[in-house]
Amino acid sequence: MSNRVLSVENLSVDIPLADGVLHAVDNVTLHVDRGETLCIVGESGCGKSLTSLALMDLLPKKAIRTIASLDLNDASILNYSEKQMSDVRGNRMGMIFQEPMTSLNPAFTIGNQMVETLRRHRKLSNAEAQDLAKQTLEKVGITAAEQRLNQYPHQLSGGLRQRVMIAMTLLCEPELIIADEPTTALDVTIQAQILLLLQELQAEYDMGLILITHDLGVVARIATRVAVMYAGQVVEQGTAEQIFENPMHPYTRGLMRCIPVPGRTQPGEPLGSIPGMVPSLIGRFTGCRFADRCDLVKDACRKGDVPLRDAKGKTQGYRCVIEPRDMTKVA
Amino acid sequence: MSEMMINASAVTRDFSISRGMFRGKQRLKAVNGVDLNVTRGEVLALVGESGCGKTTLAKILLGLLPQTSGSISLCGTPIGEVPRLELAKTIQPIFQDPYSSLNPRKSIGSIIGLPMRVQGEEDQQAILQRVAETMELVGLPSRLLNAYPNQLSGGQRQRVAIARALVYRPEIVVCDEPTSALDVSVQSQILNLLNELRAELNLTYIIISHNLAVVEHIASRVAVMYLGRIVEQAETSTLFSNPQHPYTRALLDSVLTPDPRLGLPNTQLGASYPNPIDPPSGCAFHPRCANAMPHCAQAAPNGLVNKDTYVECHLYSDGDAAKAG
Repeated sequence: MSNRVLSVENLSVDIPLADGVLHAVDNVTLHVDRGETLCIVGESGCGKSLTSLALMDLLPKKAIRTIASLDLNDASILNYSEKQMSDVRGNRMGMIFQEPMTSLNPAFTIGNQMVETLRRHRKLSNAEAQDLAKQTLEKVGITAAEQRLNQYPHQLSGGLRQRVMIAMTLLCEPELIIADEPTTALDVTIQAQILLLLQELQAEYDMGLILITHDLGVVARIATRVAVMYAGQVVEQGTAEQIFENPMHPYTRGLMRCIPVPGRTQPGEPLGSIPGMVPSLIGRFTGCRFADRCDLVKDACRKGDVPLRDAKGKTQGYRCVIEPRDMTKVA
Repeated sequence: MSEMMINASAVTRDFSISRGMFRGKQRLKAVNGVDLNVTRGEVLALVGESGCGKTTLAKILLGLLPQTSGSISLCGTPIGEVPRLELAKTIQPIFQDPYSSLNPRKSIGSIIGLPMRVQGEEDQQAILQRVAETMELVGLPSRLLNAYPNQLSGGQRQRVAIARALVYRPEIVVCDEPTSALDVSVQSQILNLLNELRAELNLTYIIISHNLAVVEHIASRVAVMYLGRIVEQAETSTLFSNPQHPYTRALLDSVLTPDPRLGLPNTQLGASYPNPIDPPSGCAFHPRCANAMPHCAQAAPNGLVNKDTYVECHLYSDGDAAKAG
């Protein structure tokens, strides 16, 4: 049995709008293994959230998804019916969203919502479900779990709510968790705790984890592998060490220069920046999508699509016309 | 001696919280005895978790909320004695989210010029002139004068918000999370701009932020707030190299620097943030503190200055400093 939990090839998401088709996600190919954390990082509008929704088949109605292959545990789930997909969601693939207040139902108690999940997916009796819900809350570090089950979401703090969300995704012991900006709405102190919890649970359950974030600090500390997205494409992927210590794509390099790092950047000195704006993705795009903002741009950049090429090893890939050895020279 | 811009002493702000129809009101001390001195050209960062009172303190400084007790002077004048319009010429805010702080129905030129019209300026030509100058100052192309906020990117919107704050050339700017709604590549541009403007216009900033990496980069002094009080205050480099309060240490530990060789920190801040209506006895931080001692639960620590740092912690009071190491 292979270790691969999820693999997707050539995922694209197109959204028809009044003034043309928006190519929001373009030929994204990704995979996650057991016990591995894949971070998808990028700025707003780069398609990272749509990618995760497309994996769960939760896209808005008018979005059109095209995929070459989508395998969960080496079995294709591409042609699953809506009914089959809803068995997969929550049961085999769990999802954690950014703002726990909007993803928990305010009208039901925590216990109600957890028990419903268990009865839907695991066909447990009410008493069994109550019991398991309580145990799972304890597992994610919630004290007085029995009382919490009878509370409503608004009675909990942001950190507690996110713990409840994590507990809910754990209920069915999924093979894969997709977490979309799970700590963005939380305080820094709570952020570290929640990420640590996710990491511990991932090891315990031997799950795959896809974490979507814009925070490079989070990525560096938790990722096994990283996919950097820009304007709907994966522009660079590799292990966390490769991406942070030897970034190849000019966009990844630009991002690294933008962030202040205590002890590394000089206080008060200007930070690096990436001039310009993300291009419009409406209509067909030829050439490199980063060309207009890139300081290494050449004629070749605008002539046809730039494929994802291997860097030095097979593990790191980047989407740029510049050869790896020339790229190290300009660093 | 540099010029004193903000001088606040023992500022408190209480809110009355209703507990239901037949029960009395309860006091919530959002800001509880804050002393603050800011000199011209300084960048003071207020950091702390949500609910610690940093935004309430900023609103008091801006004159948007009266303080319950204590006194505040801006440039030597007590703020209670100055009319609101006069105060607005001295101190201006920049808010977190440029998507909600700009009126979507007004053009950029009219948004930036509004503070001048509010101040009673009637000469359209003068307003237009000033708006154009300010737009250039913050790096907005003049063709955007008649554009609307929805035509602008997040970074451009934040530049509009900065231009609006600066159009009347205030002395002090209060920035409440100025970059946390922005993407990384835009965040760095706005931070660079804020730094340039400070040098160019000799501004004083109060920056509220939870991003300590940003604070380290831009602030000259940092005040750490916990439950309405400033528990530690020092020059930025001192605070980052030698944090004294256990809370400050925990905050610094939770900064995730982009270094893949380091794992996730374990901050040991087990218990969650206390309820401000029912604050813990003694030192408000003691239930979460790794160094808590029995008397921390009984008496609140007095503020003292230890190695250039103002700190409120029993670890440093009456000769205990040696133990803290």
